[in-house]
Amino acid sequence: MARGSSQSQSSTSSSTSRPGVMAPRGSAAATAGMRRRRLVGGSGSASATSSAASGSGSNMLRFYTDDAPGLKISPTIVLVMSLCFIGFVTALHVFGKLYRSKTGAGP
Amino acid sequence: MGGGFRVLHLVRPFLSFLPEVQSADRKVPFREKVIYTVISLFIFLVCSQLPLYGIHSTTGADPFYWMRVILASNRGTVMELGITPIVTSGLVMQLLAGSKIIEVDNSVREDRALLNGAQKLLGILIAVGEAVAYVLSGMYGSVGQLGVGNAILIIIQLCFAGIIVICLDELLQKGYGLGSGISLFIATNICENIIWKAFSPTTINSGRGAEFEGAVIAMFHLLITRSDKVRALREAFYRQNLPNVTNLLATVLIFLIVIYFQGFRVVLPVRSKNARGQQGSYPIKLFYTSNMPIILQSALVSNLYFISQLLYRKYSGNFFVNLLGKWKESEYSGGQFIPVGGLAYYVTAPASLADMAANPFHALFYLVFMLSACALFSKTWIEVSGSSARDVAKQLKEQQMVMPGHRDSNLQKELNRYIPTAAAFGGMCIGALTVLADFMGAIGSGTGILLAVTIIYQYFETFEKERASELGFFGF
Repeated sequence: MARGSSQSQSSTSSSTSRPGVMAPRGSAAATAGMRRRRLVGGSGSASATSSAASGSGSNMLRFYTDDAPGLKISPTIVLVMSLCFIGFVTALHVFGKLYRSKTGAGP
Repeated sequence: MGGGFRVLHLVRPFLSFLPEVQSADRKVPFREKVIYTVISLFIFLVCSQLPLYGIHSTTGADPFYWMRVILASNRGTVMELGITPIVTSGLVMQLLAGSKIIEVDNSVREDRALLNGAQKLLGILIAVGEAVAYVLSGMYGSVGQLGVGNAILIIIQLCFAGIIVICLDELLQKGYGLGSGISLFIATNICENIIWKAFSPTTINSGRGAEFEGAVIAMFHLLITRSDKVRALREAFYRQNLPNVTNLLATVLIFLIVIYFQGFRVVLPVRSKNARGQQGSYPIKLFYTSNMPIILQSALVSNLYFISQLLYRKYSGNFFVNLLGKWKESEYSGGQFIPVGGLAYYVTAPASLADMAANPFHALFYLVFMLSACALFSKTWIEVSGSSARDVAKQLKEQQMVMPGHRDSNLQKELNRYIPTAAAFGGMCIGALTVLADFMGAIGSGTGILLAVTIIYQYFETFEKERASELGFFGF
């Protein structure tokens, strides 16, 4: 039970301690809080709190896992994409140097 | 406002094109989170050192010099825009939603998705717009010099970097990493700056022979090479044109003070209405709005600088333009304009204690301006961001929490006793600390340091929380 209370408390403080440093935080923090609270509801205090929390909680969860529209990409792809971008710019530099030394117009 | 709804719905056709990071469908272990965070950080750091391809020159005055610190951008690199697109779009959306110009019902799923989409779309649009503006304004050399192909390449690079930053931020926020991308990048940028100023091995020839840029290295270098040790030490501590040891010590001192103040809070006891025995506490921190007042304050000041510089270059004779700010090229940081008169001068920190003594009115005005601006912004921010007494009371009520000894209807009144005071006073403290840091000449400007410290502190809290929850899981 002690754990349960600390969890729900942390959810409130997490959404207020940084009052939306930049906008999306509000919703993200709220979702995290909801998710955490759902966990609490599942494991700890069962009957009473779940009625109010789980309703919105499941709704929240569906919002992200469900068919949230958009080009779905997994986190690995994001990282690979950024690395590819870095590689691309580096390649541009290399080719630029080669091209310039060939034509002899470079500085 | 019926029209507001339509504004949000305009985003819908674009929603399917926006990149969206999948949210974690399982609980990401702590170790994995750290790995994701470190890789993102690595990508950011590489990007902020990698020069843009195709630029001609980056010399000349840099009108955004003042904003670079808080926007984590580096000149002439792929991260030229830094986090500007996200921050700007985030602020704009928050302000629009907070002031009810765009009506968003947070309990409707579609509205939230649309708001997120709108923010992302706006971020990408801002990145494109800024990239085009940078190239066309000749920041990297005029378009004729660059050639059309290169100009387009630069724009593409900048846009893509913007999209990457948005994706990384989302990745970290959706539960794969710790904290948010924005604050991580800001803090890294500032810390990098401080470390560099302390240990930089580059030498600079300033007329008295080669000198090291880094304060600590320079001190040892001076101590070893000079025969008069006392004078060597004095020079290491007080040299004017390069970072010196006093600056470094001031930085450390500010770090400690801020961390000390972070612990100040009023704890209100709350109790769950339904589950009996679920006790909790709702802490109201002294730094209730955290670093928001200084972000807003520096955004305001940098915009003022930007406009004033532009005007001064065009019409330097005009009386009103001079009233806004007079600018002169600085002799130290090559080509940088520094304010020497007008309003812009009075809202800039005095360069040193001696400067302050020579012009006490300037110091006083700066102090009053900083304190009142920070307090004001702090108070406005709680209303805008939804952390005012009313919102907190609602939030607590939704979680079925009550304060023992107070009725439900009293909750807001009770919170109202603390929150506005904490916000205003906390904002003022933040302002005062910034002023103090500036007066002591801390490295990376007072604003930068305060941002860095508050962000790092938040990271510590997250770390602790993560660890605690992990342990809790094992304990179960």
